[in-house]
Amino acid sequence: MATNRRTFIKSVTAVGSAIGLAGVPRLALGQEAESEPVWTPKPVGKARVPLNILILGGTGFTGPEQVEYAIARGHRVTLFNRNKTRPGAFKGKVAEELVGDLNNDTTALQGKKFDVVIDNPTTAPAWVRNAAKHLAGNVKHYIFVSTTSTYSDQSIIGLNENSPTVVLREGIDPYSVDPQVIGGNYGGLKVLAEKEVQKQYPGIWTVIRPCLIVGPLDRTDRFTWWPARIDKGGEVLAPDKPDDPCQFIDSRDLAEWTVRVAEAQEFGLYNAIGPTHPMTVSEMLYGVKAGTTAGARFTWVPWDFLQEQKVRPWRDMTVWQPPYGRTAGYQRRDSRKSIAKGLTFRPLAVTAKDTLDWHKTRPEQEQLATLNGEINGIGLKREAEVLAAWHAKVKAGQ
Amino acid sequence: MSITRRDFLTGAANGTHLRAGSLAHERVGAPLNILILGGTGFTGPEQVEYATARGHRVTLFNRNRTRPDLFKGRVDQLIGDLNGDVESLKGHSFDVVIDNPTTAPAWVRNAAKHLAGHTKHYLFISTLSVYPNNTVTNRDESDGLTPLPEGLDPYTVPADQARRYYGALKTESEREVARQYPGINTIVRPGLIVGPLDKSDRFTYWPVRIDRGGEVLAPGNPDDPNQIIDSRDLAEWMIRLAEQRVLGTFNAVGPVISMWELLAGIKSVTTAGAQFTWVPADFLRANGVTPWRHMPTWMPPVPNAGFSTRNNARAVAAGLTFRPLSMTAKDTLDWHKTRPAEEQKSLADGAIAGIPATKEAEVIAAWKAKPQSAP
Repeated sequence: MATNRRTFIKSVTAVGSAIGLAGVPRLALGQEAESEPVWTPKPVGKARVPLNILILGGTGFTGPEQVEYAIARGHRVTLFNRNKTRPGAFKGKVAEELVGDLNNDTTALQGKKFDVVIDNPTTAPAWVRNAAKHLAGNVKHYIFVSTTSTYSDQSIIGLNENSPTVVLREGIDPYSVDPQVIGGNYGGLKVLAEKEVQKQYPGIWTVIRPCLIVGPLDRTDRFTWWPARIDKGGEVLAPDKPDDPCQFIDSRDLAEWTVRVAEAQEFGLYNAIGPTHPMTVSEMLYGVKAGTTAGARFTWVPWDFLQEQKVRPWRDMTVWQPPYGRTAGYQRRDSRKSIAKGLTFRPLAVTAKDTLDWHKTRPEQEQLATLNGEINGIGLKREAEVLAAWHAKVKAGQ
Repeated sequence: MSITRRDFLTGAANGTHLRAGSLAHERVGAPLNILILGGTGFTGPEQVEYATARGHRVTLFNRNRTRPDLFKGRVDQLIGDLNGDVESLKGHSFDVVIDNPTTAPAWVRNAAKHLAGHTKHYLFISTLSVYPNNTVTNRDESDGLTPLPEGLDPYTVPADQARRYYGALKTESEREVARQYPGINTIVRPGLIVGPLDKSDRFTYWPVRIDRGGEVLAPGNPDDPNQIIDSRDLAEWMIRLAEQRVLGTFNAVGPVISMWELLAGIKSVTTAGAQFTWVPADFLRANGVTPWRHMPTWMPPVPNAGFSTRNNARAVAAGLTFRPLSMTAKDTLDWHKTRPAEEQKSLADGAIAGIPATKEAEVIAAWKAKPQSAP
């Protein structure tokens, strides 16, 4: 047990110091000890055969977790990125850092060989093609992190890897690298990027489609809103019905499984969606609350009224999507295939606690932006207005 | 998990005592000379750990039967029995006495033979069971206490009847404390105490059951109230009450949360993916499922609306703080997995508290087979 804990703390501290977070040292008795983990993960262990891994990107959100885990498993890690996001974060830790840009300059990849490539950043097929100029024929396995946004019909309950995908709008050049084009056609371009991967690396590709990725380092606030909000206590606006379904994946679960997929050379197409068994939105919120002490109280407001108040699913009520109509299946997708191949999930308590602890290390301005709902999440002010309107309506109806 | 109970108790193995938010509280005043009556059961060991960690001198008085010599070398040990032989207390003086085990006023009187006049503060752990009426929500410490049944001599109640008169005898014990230690006493009335070391299974059932996954029978309405206190929160606060010499009477119980919050909060520390099936109180009753006994921590709000909604404002104002539920749940689960096989089996069989798996499945099946009438 002591070893597990030490390993865990060592690795967290390493990530922390590398990316400018506070470490999680063991504290002396009598000191504030809030950063102690609720849960001690299993020891990481070493891979049977060390791999020579190239990680494209690797410094954003999921990438750093891949790097940490791969190194802990005894692999040799090379990074290829612009050296712009957290420059030098893994200096001295990874075997090699190659600088370039998938969008235009990939010469640093020339002449290199790898057992496996993990492609995190690609959002357009041109990026795959650019890298493939040097990588095709020089790697034994190409893992592409895609997205469940590739699915065109989110009304399907139990949507799986065979469900229909988005077709890019006509008149758009899929190989355009115009950021405007890329930004506005996320799902369609990711589908074509997947196809490009299959074309460039026939028979040796893995495509992983994660749903909402959550956890420490996530600056989108799409899950972080809830721990940050609930930790403030008071009356919390909760979406629709407590029994509505919800799905998400902790970035560490995704990252670690991706590395294990590399080790096992699992080819093919996989959804990566948690948890294994259905979770309701109340279980998520109450689970988040269980890691806090501020005593948040939840007021569940029906979807009809949220619509009247222009409260948006996902953007304002993060994670949640209405389990009706065109989003009926959004939170009820099927991930049995990846689970059968070893995808596992941390307890929610760990995701919630680690996310909150990380959130508290963000610059004050970012934390404020979260509570103001500037990124995702409804924001305290608007939340109070909607709650007041709801209570007025309930009172009037009595 | 290979930790021993001793490791667990000393916090050496898993840092239990290191990660308590309440440890952020600074010690107030000089180190105290503390006598703990009992101290080896459930809450007592947490008091000992916390008190010694904060530099206090701790003396234990007990029969040395429950976990004998648990704290040998770390505390002074006096052997005796509050119910009989209290000679070893003679001639000692203490800053404060913490009385954990007393369930009858005679025990207080016996100890007072040697302690009255020799301690500056007497802290008595009573219980919320001193309140006989649980129909009204949010009642505070001024609520009425259990009257003594007519003809019962509280000083000579036979041991085999003590359980039956628990509330009345605790009430009488509080009064005895007030008589023996006027103006220097603190009465702490905890609600359901939960956490590691709790052998009553009255909370432990839920983490263990939920960790097993599958379909879990959940009692009553998901919004039914629930109120517990982690033994460590209680123990640590009592030491701080001693340090600050806070006198008076306090309800010591956690915030009111819903059963749904309780069960979902516990689920959050597990990965088995338990699914909850909520079955109304009347159906449970008709199927022989008893609140509290079979569905631990749950008391239907009809007619006991006040049972899990006790006002704790006074204790909170006096510094009582609460760990996150996830910590209580996780630590309890981890501890349970270190219990001897027969204790784990006893819980699985619902021998003390909780419902056996077979019975649980029967009730769920019966509920699902029942024709659902329109609401």
